Amino acid sequence: MRLRTLARVCIALSCMPGMAIAQTRSMYSNLANPSIGLNALFLGQAAPDLDQPYGLDFQSAELSLISVVDPYWMLDANITFTPDEVDPEEVWARTTSIPNISVKVGKLRATFGKQGTLHTHAFPFVQAPIIMPNSIGEEGFKDAGVEASWLMPVPWFMELTGGIYNAMEVNDENPLDFGSTDHDNIPFGGHFKNQLDIGEETTVDVGVSGLSGKGADGYRHTAYGADLTFRNVPARASNRHGWILEGEYIARGTSENGTFDRQQRGWFASFQYRFRQRWWGGIRGEQAKDCYTDVLVDPVSGDAISGDVNRASANVAWTPSEFSYVRLEYSYAQADDGNGFKPTDQRVLIQFNYTIGYHPAHAY
Amino acid sequence: MIVNRIIPENLMRLLTRWSLGLVLVFAASPAFADLKVATSLTDLASVAQFVGGTHVEAQSLCRGYEDPHFVPAKPSLMKAIQKADVYVSTGLELDGGWLPVVLPGSRNPKIQQGQPGFVDASEGISVLEKPTGTVSRAEGDIHPLGNPHYYLDPKNLEIVADHLADVFSRLDPANAADYAANAKAFDERMETALAGWLKQMEPYAGKSIVTYHVNFIYFADRFGLKIFGHVEPKPGIPPSARHISELAEAMKQAGVTVVTYEPYYNADASKQLAAKADGTAIEIATEVDGLPEAKDVFAKFDLLVSSLVNALSK
Repeated sequence: MRLRTLARVCIALSCMPGMAIAQTRSMYSNLANPSIGLNALFLGQAAPDLDQPYGLDFQSAELSLISVVDPYWMLDANITFTPDEVDPEEVWARTTSIPNISVKVGKLRATFGKQGTLHTHAFPFVQAPIIMPNSIGEEGFKDAGVEASWLMPVPWFMELTGGIYNAMEVNDENPLDFGSTDHDNIPFGGHFKNQLDIGEETTVDVGVSGLSGKGADGYRHTAYGADLTFRNVPARASNRHGWILEGEYIARGTSENGTFDRQQRGWFASFQYRFRQRWWGGIRGEQAKDCYTDVLVDPVSGDAISGDVNRASANVAWTPSEFSYVRLEYSYAQADDGNGFKPTDQRVLIQFNYTIGYHPAHAY
Repeated sequence: MIVNRIIPENLMRLLTRWSLGLVLVFAASPAFADLKVATSLTDLASVAQFVGGTHVEAQSLCRGYEDPHFVPAKPSLMKAIQKADVYVSTGLELDGGWLPVVLPGSRNPKIQQGQPGFVDASEGISVLEKPTGTVSRAEGDIHPLGNPHYYLDPKNLEIVADHLADVFSRLDPANAADYAANAKAFDERMETALAGWLKQMEPYAGKSIVTYHVNFIYFADRFGLKIFGHVEPKPGIPPSARHISELAEAMKQAGVTVVTYEPYYNADASKQLAAKADGTAIEIATEVDGLPEAKDVFAKFDLLVSSLVNALSK
């Protein structure tokens, strides 16, 4: 009797894994899982003019998920982990079934200029241009909203993008005050882009952008910009050589008493050159007016003060594959608060970038 | 008169020329075709044109002398396929680095993945070099779904032609008979040509060559060649001096003398390797339009076979 019971238990146990597998296959298929990728950035900085320790830090990790939802939508999510927070910096759905128009809905990075649309690991230089955190945000304007972009019916690439966004107050990442709680406050923005091929290997890209909304102070706050990019990718050496020459101007201000008062403004221009399959080099010059930066700190109170800053940067990147790079960057900055305080800053940065899993090509 | 006072004469002339140019650009709309077909590869465009005949206008986003792995995802490519009726992807992730950006950017619902106008040309192909076990990028930029350079076997292009004839017939039933007839004619022409190429290559069956990239297995299998090694130590990884020296030494010992490279790969490394191994480096077109003579898929194989025969006979 005991033997028979034991035999039954053994048979039942031997059948269980099969049953479990069958159930797993039918209930929890992973065939339609999204493409998953993780990018990690580590940053080291030596800045003798700043009151900061030298060292290597974890900068950020970005988890990206992307997949087709159904015949009408695709979903893209980028969750960023930094030492201080977890930020769903982009989670948006995009239409795939409307001819000539693409609509994005969700938490998105507004289409503004060139630098403002880049993820941190795709920045051409380790440090964002000084005007960025003083105008639309170091990593662009990130907010919930709806954007529609129209690929216009002309023979070249002409794209018109318009969007409306959520009313958002000033915070660590967003310098634009769109925080009015009035019902008529619907922050809006637009981008107009033209891209033309100049011959087989070189392209020119021209864009203008704007963002506007009503602030918590009751006044309208606006940022606008223009960008110009020349890019060369030799057809017979697309993975070994090429260059990018680009420049961008951004300004922001408020409309008090009915007139627009320009506050922070600045430009940056850079040249990047790929001289071998694994090596890139770049130089950048920039100027920022009435801006805040870590160089401009009141020597007595320790408070951040605004002023004009000129900065030159140079970097070299070693890219052993498309999935990693190590960049070394040097920058020299001169600042002037307009009251005789003229600090200078030199710093050396080293950045390590790694990507695992799926990662699509960056926007051209 | 007033305008002339405000705008200088030379600027007026320039504006007139630009306006005229713009009018010409608008007027130069593509010739009428029942189906506009875009592809990821020149070989696929060539097959599509043979199958489609006068009913199809086919263009490739990647040029024949451009590395198909690294096509810049230019907005102008999105524009180029905005009105396409069919998009033919190479499949097996050869275009996986750039097509996921270009295809949605076109804002053309007809050709998005899963739609009738999207074609994965690798369907029906017997894929070689599928990785077994764990797929790891420690092995370089490998293709997890298998080697995607199937278009180097003429027989595989027959499969592509039949596949495209089916797709074109579904999308343009009025011309279905023409598509079927064109595909049949293509297959017959390819069979005849293949017999000639096999005869030319017959004396060199079993010979070994070195290729720049891991892209020659389909051709080697069809024509009885052996792949001795690659200029790249791992797919996508540029060769080091040490790798070149070691490979050259091994080639010498094994009596391998032919090194091939495509127009988009580093010719210097290939020539250096060949020189060290007392061999010959030859530039080959593995894609249509890779070299000026490779005008279509038949001309490409004509050129490829004659280049190899010439090099192997020395």
